[in-house]
Amino acid sequence: MLRFWRQAPLPLLLLILSYGFWISPDFKEIAAGVALFLFGMLSLEKGFKSFTGGALEQVLRTCTNRLWKSIAFGITSTTLMQSSTLVSLVTISFVSAEMITLAAGIGVIMGANLGTTTGAWLIAGLGLRVDIAGYAMPALVIGVILLLQRSKILQGIGYATLGVGFLFLGIHYMKEGFEAFQGAFDLSGYVIPGVLGVLLYTGIGMLITVIMQSSHATLLVIITALATGQISYDSALALAIGANLGSAITTAIGGMTANLGGKRLAIAHVLFNVMTAAVAITFIGQMAWAVDYLGALMGLADDEYLLKLALFHTLFNLLGVILLAPFTGVLERALLKHVNFAPKSREKPLYLYPGALETPAAAISALRKEVGHLYDNAHDLIAHGVSLRRSVIDSDQSLVDAVKNTRRIIPLDVDDLYEARIKSLHSDIVAFISEIQGRELSQQSVEQLYVLQQASRDIVEAVKATKHLQKNLSRHGVSGNPLIRERYDTIRLQIAKVLREIRQLRSQDPETVTSLSLDALKLSVNKSGRSFTADLNALIRGRRLSSSIATSMMNDENYAFEICSNLIEASHALLLPPTRAEQSAEDQLALDEQDIARMAGGNSNPRTRTHTDEDEKTAG
Amino acid sequence: MKTKKLLARLAGFLNADQTAQRKELKSIRKVLKKLKAKERDLTTKLEETPPGDEYEEISQKLQVIYAQRRKGIERVREIKGRNKEQPSP
Repeated sequence: MLRFWRQAPLPLLLLILSYGFWISPDFKEIAAGVALFLFGMLSLEKGFKSFTGGALEQVLRTCTNRLWKSIAFGITSTTLMQSSTLVSLVTISFVSAEMITLAAGIGVIMGANLGTTTGAWLIAGLGLRVDIAGYAMPALVIGVILLLQRSKILQGIGYATLGVGFLFLGIHYMKEGFEAFQGAFDLSGYVIPGVLGVLLYTGIGMLITVIMQSSHATLLVIITALATGQISYDSALALAIGANLGSAITTAIGGMTANLGGKRLAIAHVLFNVMTAAVAITFIGQMAWAVDYLGALMGLADDEYLLKLALFHTLFNLLGVILLAPFTGVLERALLKHVNFAPKSREKPLYLYPGALETPAAAISALRKEVGHLYDNAHDLIAHGVSLRRSVIDSDQSLVDAVKNTRRIIPLDVDDLYEARIKSLHSDIVAFISEIQGRELSQQSVEQLYVLQQASRDIVEAVKATKHLQKNLSRHGVSGNPLIRERYDTIRLQIAKVLREIRQLRSQDPETVTSLSLDALKLSVNKSGRSFTADLNALIRGRRLSSSIATSMMNDENYAFEICSNLIEASHALLLPPTRAEQSAEDQLALDEQDIARMAGGNSNPRTRTHTDEDEKTAG
Repeated sequence: MKTKKLLARLAGFLNADQTAQRKELKSIRKVLKKLKAKERDLTTKLEETPPGDEYEEISQKLQVIYAQRRKGIERVREIKGRNKEQPSP
């Protein structure tokens, strides 16, 4: 039953959407608009990620390293683009890609809020309305062309351009879908005096902006209503406040697809706009007076509502920036502290608790157990990565048969599992080691810490190699070509054997087990690698395998070697005897890499581990 | 073993006191004992296993244990020989 409810949301959502699509064409357009919009955000983020560490990041950092600079950056970019929504969404992408800090992002958002008021001046003063939604189609075409280029930078620009195109296309569809509701804006029907009236008109202004997806469009509705006498001047001011609030909703939707940093910034944007609106509503009378006063100074006539509205828009956003800018640091700290969306499945350390830090011996013992815990997690992940159940590895069942009888490769998101079960635990281990290192330690303790930290790192490397291997395994692992299938079976079998052997060693009585048993495993891995390569070369020579698939196999065999060697090294640290004298004795008897290479039947050149490529998700 | 490595080890021993050497001897003997027990288990298992992949694997493990024990025994002899050369005070 519980399982049903856990899996229910997605089918339920699809069912509701299908029903909506069936009964309402408007709903279809709005939903498609939201989907395109969110996809645009993802493309934008992906595009900006390719600039991380490059010149753009450097420029952005320089432009936003002071609060005044980031506010000025926000004002300028919004004035140029005439869309605070776009600037806010791009800023969320920058923060998500860690190209700028959260505080800088808050500054840019503040600046964007101020910059958007230039639109009101342009409409009011020049009758000019810049509609950049018209650029959506060219952006999509240019984006795709750039995406097809070989250069990573051009591809990044392509993704970003495509993102902008999809954002505007999404906004266009949302607008189209909501058009059916626009007739309902008979603003004269809501005339209520007092604070309640102000709040009501603020709400209406917000609603219109959300529906029309543009605070500039709302401003036009307000001006028309004001000119035809549908609403009073005071109500128009409240509507303008609402329009400002409504623009934050779009950013909040955009923040949904962003990572933690982006979500924090989206929350900051909503908070900033809500606070600014609260201040403006509270002092609406005083602000109206200030607008009249400044309007008179500027030579505006009493009935020049358009320009007065633009002035009000600028004034209250300026007030918001002046009031809240000094608290940017406080807001950033509060967001960092309170807004954390750690996944529920994030693995928690089992043995690392503050009490374990009392003595070095207790700390090292806790650390050893935790590295064991990390190893167990990696064991499960790698077993699944080679499409074998943990129960099969842990049993006495023939591994050869289990591998041979595999009908399908288990679909696995190694990236997600790595984040949830390995990386988080590895980070906790590293943090704990830093804590211990801050205390007084003997030379022996320092060495033990180093060995355990290295073991933790080896486990992480083994999982990273699994990720690479799994990709090809899912493609060729159960290939219909027996030559390919057999080679991949050999790779899977070797890893399974290492997992089983280490599991058995770790479950034995520490008094009888010795880390020297791992030498036999090293020899087995070495021999298997040599015979695999020789076998593969023979197949290539005989033209029985294409060189492209053979290359994939060679790479995958190398990943398998990485996995096995790293697991063996990590378990060596876990199987080490407790006393230094015994450790030293085992070290003296252990076979070195030349011995193993010789015994494997080759020259005495050892095969060394090479670290797998770092990528954006598993790096660090 | 490389000559350089041997010389470094020898130099270390000339400086080490006899207590440390006795301790080392004890530890090596303990590990050798574990290896001997493991060797016995594997030999029994080998006798019961028909020729095939598993047989090969056990033989390989035994080869590794022989090589490790050989290293250990050499080391014990080395320490004992050194102790004989240095009469106890």
